[in-house]
Amino acid sequence: MRMFNDRKKARAFREFMYVLPFLILVAVFSYYPLYGWVYAFFDYKPPFPLSMKQFVGFKWFTSLLTNDVKLKQLLAVLRNTFAISGLSLLFSWFPMIFAVFLNEIKWKPFKVFVQTATTLPNFISWVLVYSIAYCVFSSTGVINSLLLNLGILKTPQLFLQSANHIWFKMWLWLTWKNAGWAAIMYIAAISGIDEQLKEAARVDGANRMQVIWHITIPGLIPTFFVLVMLNLANFLTNGLEQYYVFQNAFNKDYIQVLDLYVYNIAMGSGGYSLSTAISMFKSIVSVLLLCATNQISKMVRGEGFV
Amino acid sequence: MRVKKRAFQVLSAAMAAVMVAGCAGQTATEATKTAAAAGTGNYDEPMTFDFYDVAANYQGTQAGWFAKVVKDKFNIELNMISPQVAGNGIYQTRCSTGNLGDIVVLERTDFTDCVKAGLIKDISADIKNYPDLMTYNDQITVLNKALPENKDGKIYGIPCQMTNTSPTSYSQDVIKSSPLLRWDLYSELGRPEIKNTDDLLDILEKMMKAHPTNNAGDPAYPLSLWKDWDGGDGMLGIANVTQLTTWYGEIIKGSNILKPDNTFIPVNSKDGAYYKMLHFLNEANRRGIVDPDSGTQDWNTACDKMKTGRVYLMWYNWQVGFWNTQDRLKDGTAFIYTPIKDQIYYADADTYYGSGRVFAVGSQVDDAKYQRIMDFLNWYASPEGLNYQHIGLKGFNYTVGSDGKYTYINDNALMDNVTVPDEFGGGGFNDGNNAINQWMVDAISTNPATGEPYNKDYWSTYKAATMTQMKKDWAAKFGAAEPVDYMKKNNILLISPNVSVSLPSDPADISIIRKQCSDLFSDYSWRMIYAKDDGEFDSLWSEMCTQMDGMGFQELSKFDKDKYQIELDAKLAVNKK
Repeated sequence: MRMFNDRKKARAFREFMYVLPFLILVAVFSYYPLYGWVYAFFDYKPPFPLSMKQFVGFKWFTSLLTNDVKLKQLLAVLRNTFAISGLSLLFSWFPMIFAVFLNEIKWKPFKVFVQTATTLPNFISWVLVYSIAYCVFSSTGVINSLLLNLGILKTPQLFLQSANHIWFKMWLWLTWKNAGWAAIMYIAAISGIDEQLKEAARVDGANRMQVIWHITIPGLIPTFFVLVMLNLANFLTNGLEQYYVFQNAFNKDYIQVLDLYVYNIAMGSGGYSLSTAISMFKSIVSVLLLCATNQISKMVRGEGFV
Repeated sequence: MRVKKRAFQVLSAAMAAVMVAGCAGQTATEATKTAAAAGTGNYDEPMTFDFYDVAANYQGTQAGWFAKVVKDKFNIELNMISPQVAGNGIYQTRCSTGNLGDIVVLERTDFTDCVKAGLIKDISADIKNYPDLMTYNDQITVLNKALPENKDGKIYGIPCQMTNTSPTSYSQDVIKSSPLLRWDLYSELGRPEIKNTDDLLDILEKMMKAHPTNNAGDPAYPLSLWKDWDGGDGMLGIANVTQLTTWYGEIIKGSNILKPDNTFIPVNSKDGAYYKMLHFLNEANRRGIVDPDSGTQDWNTACDKMKTGRVYLMWYNWQVGFWNTQDRLKDGTAFIYTPIKDQIYYADADTYYGSGRVFAVGSQVDDAKYQRIMDFLNWYASPEGLNYQHIGLKGFNYTVGSDGKYTYINDNALMDNVTVPDEFGGGGFNDGNNAINQWMVDAISTNPATGEPYNKDYWSTYKAATMTQMKKDWAAKFGAAEPVDYMKKNNILLISPNVSVSLPSDPADISIIRKQCSDLFSDYSWRMIYAKDDGEFDSLWSEMCTQMDGMGFQELSKFDKDKYQIELDAKLAVNKK
C-alpha cells in the first residue's frame, strides 16, 4: 500500500472497498431506476424512443384533476388506500400479542406446530390464496354447500361478489397470511429479554399475566415502534397482488388501492407516463411520511430510527 | 470481534466475486451467440430464433413433436417470447433495446409503429426468391403498400391467416358467434320455433327445470359467464356481450357500434345491440338461469363447466369443441346452431388479406440468420408447413388414402394430450403443439394436394364420418345442410368484405381514456347483469354514461369513428365493385 502513506487512510480505503459492492447494488437497483421518472414528463408510447418532441411537462400530473369524475375516482382510491393501511396499522399490535402468547405455550411440539402452521401461509402466493378463497366461498364452495345443506340458506350467498366489509375482509386475509411471519421478529425480541427480570418478578409473586404485562410487553415496545414507523412510511404502499386477485366489478370501488390503480392504468393500455406520474407522487409522499415519523419519534422517544 | 471482521471480509469478497462472475458469464454467452450466428448459409450450425409472438400462449423453448419438426428441417430451436404470458410490459422493454426478436408476430397497428421505429427488416430484395411466399404476393403487396410513408412499396411484413379464396366470400360452415343449443334438450321440448330472445329465455328456463344438474349431479345453469377477456379484441365491453351483438348484425369497432346501415353509434347508446344483449343477460339472471359464479370465476372454471355439461347455451363456434365429440354427435347430445327468427348475423368474410396480425423479421438479425429465417417462413407458408400447422403429423393425426384424400385419426389427440410415438419426438401431442399459435395461411384455404381445405372439418372423409342422425334431423327441420347454408338461404347473413388498411394506433392520451372507459364499461356491465329490476338496470346505465363522459369518452368515440371510417370506406368500395 504505497498509495497511502498514512496507515489510517489505507485502512479506511480497504474498509470502503468492503462496502463498495453493496453501494453498487443500491445504486444499480435503487437509484438508477429513478431515471425512469422522466417518462412522467413525456407523451411516451412504445416502440418510439423518447425525444424532446414528446415533452409535455406536467400534463399528466394535472390530467388527474381535470374534472369531477377523475378527481372523485382518485379520492376513492386514496380513501381505500388509507382505510386499508389504517386498518392494518390499527391492528399492528396483533403479531406482537400473538408472539407473546405463542411464547407462553410450554409444550414444545404444540408450539412448533402452531408456529409452523401460521408461518406457512406467508409462502403461498396470492393467486393460490384466491383459489382457496374461491373453493371455500364460491356458490358451490364449502361454506355455501354447508349452509344450503343445513337449510340456513335457500340460494347461495355470493361472498366474493359483495363489497360489504371488504376492507375488513382484506385485513383478515392479510393477517391470516402474514401474522405468523410478522411474529418471528417479536419472538426473537422476546428471547432477548433478560430471564432474570422474569424470575425476579415471579419471586416477587407476579402471576403469568403480570409478567407479560410488566416485563415482556415493555421489552417489546421498542421493536414495535420501529416496525410501526417503518409501516407508516409505507402507508401508501399496500402492494397490489392481494387486491388484484380479489378485485371484481362489484367490489372495485372499495378495493382499488393506489398500487392497483397504477397497475390497472398502465398494464394493457400502455399508460406508462400517467402511471409513472402517480407512482412518482407516491414516492415523494412516502419519503415525506418517513421524515415526519422520524421527527415525531425524535420528539417522543428522544431518538430517531434513520 | 476479530472473527466477525474476518467473516465480513470473506463475505464482501464473495459478494464482489459473484458480481464479477455474473458479468463474465454474460459476456461468455454473448460471445458464443455471435460465433453461432456466423454460419455459412447451410443448416450445419444450430440456431435459436427469438420469436416475439403476440399470439403465443406459451413462453420458453418449443418442445415436443413440433420442436423435432423444425430441428430436423432447419436445425433451429424456437425461443418463444409471449406478451400474453409475460405481460404487455415486455413489448415496451424489448422495443427500448432496439431488438424485439428475430421473428415477430405483431398486431397490425403495432407493426406499423415498429416499421416506423426501425425495428423491422426490409425484406423486399429477398422475398422474391421464395416461391411459397410469392403465392401470396397480392396480399403481401397490398399490406405493405398500405403502410404510411412507404411510397416505393418496400416489403416489411407478411399477413397472417391469408386465404386463397376471395375477399368477399364466406367459405366456412359456421360463423364466429351464433346461438348454439344442446340438440337433445331442444328436442325434448319438441323443437319449438324460437321467435326472439324472450322465447330463447323461456326455452332455457324449461331446460334448466328439466335438468337442474348434469349427469354427475353437479348444478347446471344454462348460461355461465367469465370475465377474462373483457375489453379485448379491440372492443369496449365485456367479451360475453360483445360477441352477442353480432346476432343482430351489429359489430363493435373500438368504442362504437357499426350498425347494418353502415353508420356508427357510441357503444353506450341505448339504440345499440350491446344494450339489448346486456339486458338479455340481466333478464336471464333475474330468471335464475345464469350461473351465480359468473362474476367471479375465470375462464378455466367456466370451461370446466362446459366440459362437464353444466351449461346449455354456447355462443362461440369454437366453444363446442369442449363438448361436441364424434360420440356425442352420434347420440345427438351435441351443441348446434338453432335459428332465432328475428336475428340477422354479422360475419367477417374469408380473411383473404389476412386476419390483422403480421409476420416480420427483426432488424437486428445478421445475414446467416436472416437467410434461415426466410427459409423457415417460406416453409411455414408452404402446403407442407401448413399441414403441420393445421392438422399435425402424417401417420399420427391423418393418413393419406390411395385417392390422395386425407383421413383424420386420433381425433382426441389435442383434447386428451395423447402421447406421440418416439419417432415423432415423443411427449404429449398438446404439449408439443406448435407454440407459434398463428398460421400464415388460414385453414379454410385449399390444399393443392387434396383439393380440399386444410381444416379437417371440410374433408369429404370427415363429413361422411360425422353425417349422424342428429345432423340429418337438423337438416330436415331447417332445410339446409349446414348453419351457413341456412343463413344464406334465408338471407340473414351480413358478410363484411375483407380489406387491408392501415389504421392509426392510439396516441398516449387516447390509450388512457380507452383503458379507463373500458374498465368502467365492463365493471358497470357486470353490475347491470346482476341488477334486480329494470329501474336499477337503467339507473346504472345512465350513471355509467356520466362516468365515461368524465373520463373523456366523447373524445375516444370521435377518434374511433374517424379510425374505423377508413376501414368502412374500403369495405364499401369493395362491395360496390
